[in-house]
Amino acid sequence: MDTIIDAHQVTKTYNPKAIPVVAVNDVHMHIERGEFTALVGPSGSGKTTLLNLIGGLDKPDTGSIVIHGTDITRLSANQLIDFRLRNIGFVFQAFNLIPVLSARENVELIMQLQRAPKAEIRKRAAILFDQIGLTDKMDTRPAQLSGGQQQRVAVARALASRPQVVLADEPTANLDSKSASNLLDIMSKLNREENMTFIFSTHDQRVIERARRVITLVDGKIASDTARVDTSHRHDVQTNPE
Amino acid sequence: MNMMISMAWRNIWRNKVRSVVIMISIALGLVAGLFIMGLYEGVLNDRLNTVIRQEVAHLQVHHPRFQRDYEAVFCLDSASRLVERIRSLENVQAVSARTVAPGMLATSTGSAGVQILGVVPVDEDAVSGLKQKLIEGEGFKANRHNQVVIGRKLADKVNLRLNSKLVLTFTDIENNLVSAAFRVAGVYQSTNAPLEERLVYLHAVDLNRLMQMEDACHEIAVLLNRDEAMTTAEQQLNRLYPNLLIENWQQLSPETKLMIETTDTYSIIFIVIIMLALMFGIINTMLMAVLERTREIGMLVALGMNKLRLFMLVLWETVILTLTGAPFGLLLSWLLITHLGNSGIDISSISGAAMSGFGFSSLIFPRFPWSSLPLVLYIVCITALLASLVPSFKALRLIPVEAMRQ
Repeated sequence: MDTIIDAHQVTKTYNPKAIPVVAVNDVHMHIERGEFTALVGPSGSGKTTLLNLIGGLDKPDTGSIVIHGTDITRLSANQLIDFRLRNIGFVFQAFNLIPVLSARENVELIMQLQRAPKAEIRKRAAILFDQIGLTDKMDTRPAQLSGGQQQRVAVARALASRPQVVLADEPTANLDSKSASNLLDIMSKLNREENMTFIFSTHDQRVIERARRVITLVDGKIASDTARVDTSHRHDVQTNPE
Repeated sequence: MNMMISMAWRNIWRNKVRSVVIMISIALGLVAGLFIMGLYEGVLNDRLNTVIRQEVAHLQVHHPRFQRDYEAVFCLDSASRLVERIRSLENVQAVSARTVAPGMLATSTGSAGVQILGVVPVDEDAVSGLKQKLIEGEGFKANRHNQVVIGRKLADKVNLRLNSKLVLTFTDIENNLVSAAFRVAGVYQSTNAPLEERLVYLHAVDLNRLMQMEDACHEIAVLLNRDEAMTTAEQQLNRLYPNLLIENWQQLSPETKLMIETTDTYSIIFIVIIMLALMFGIINTMLMAVLERTREIGMLVALGMNKLRLFMLVLWETVILTLTGAPFGLLLSWLLITHLGNSGIDISSISGAAMSGFGFSSLIFPRFPWSSLPLVLYIVCITALLASLVPSFKALRLIPVEAMRQ
């Protein structure tokens, strides 16, 4: 198997000098390429913090996070920006599309930041919009799209740079059941077709049921790590050392 | 880059009212600055025209010692031949030989110190437009002796009218005191009150006879057909008459030259002050725009927009915001200045006497300051760039993970 993420003894504490809050506590985690993993747990369990650490948006106090052979904890702020651009795709709970750009421009922006050739940008954007089923909405501004459609565009944007990992923070939280199901279908299809690694934090039972691996966090620690071969079979592959 | 500029342009229109207000401010600031510059340029252009076409002309020829000592003996001999030779030079429009004598004017009611100029009326009309300045009388008439043309200010001061008699006292070429009676043949008015009170004109024939100067003069004023030809004409005269003193209007009227130079500087300082005030408005607007988009900026950095690109995005927004207002300001300024440049602004009721006291006309014709336009545009661009620094650095300081929490 090809290890894409190797997190080792990762700890993150907020307000270390005042009232310390240990958001992530000595987490060990290995993610293989092409996994479709859900991070679950109650509010305040450290899901978002762990995603931010893996995504290089925040730095751990201790430990290392190696993504595709690079220890991102050792990268400078500028190196991290470049690393994120080329290796990480983000899908946010609130979609976070740029309102002044059309759906297509939102997707193309990432490739432009990567300085990809124009023809390739156009081609990739067309393919992605075909995959998310929004070819007819490419030139529409985000405000004219439904929540579900916006989140699909956000997924296309996350995939535009062909990242090693797509990190999704509560991607279905603001969606109705139909839109959520539709989004999960698309993400799952892209995961299979492009062998792209997906990690998402979620409370949503529908998402958890579609995940092929579920990591449960409690108080910043991994309480359980369950992998499923299909929807009817589950087995534990690893548990937290504690 | 295109996407960045496109984003910057669209970002400006997120809050249309705020952007339009700042664009109007920039436009009005430019109008104010350019109008003041146009006003200064109009005043100075008028003053320069007066200096050249009514007072000293483009060039003057003197005996090297005359300007220093003002003694009648330092005159130019064979004046008529000299005048004819100079008149034949390229770009020379008119030439006037003047006999100059400091003297005293006396009437039955008062007296005043004056500068007496003996002129050939036709030549002087061509050089300084003496006849056009007459407001009373017809000036010098042929076959009449001892006529004098005086300024209105002087006439008022010593209570003289047309055809009044007066006595002029001055020294001749041998330093003898000479007095003679003259009759007022004309009263002139100019925009220069001090000169109007000091200069009196006699016919050169009369003055030369009294001063015992035959075919001589103290000063030859040379008017050219275009201002740009002055340096060439000056060099030509210097070559022709190396023993004479050739001076241009800048040397003859250094205060006018100084005024033109310093007023340009004042105009620029004025524009800079206006732009500084506007800069804070732009900074405020752009800071608000950045703070409103904290989450979005955090997201852009999270997605991989590097600091340089983020800096450029905010910089483009600021520059576009500033430069969008500038063309309207320029157009509005041009329309306003062109209109007032044709109709003129009459400030005689406000400060006519004061303006005249310094040799300025009270009817001002503003001129669009084309020559200063590149500098003004440069200042506007610098303003935009400087104004972009604060919001750009503010955006750079945002930490993505914290920005996205907002």
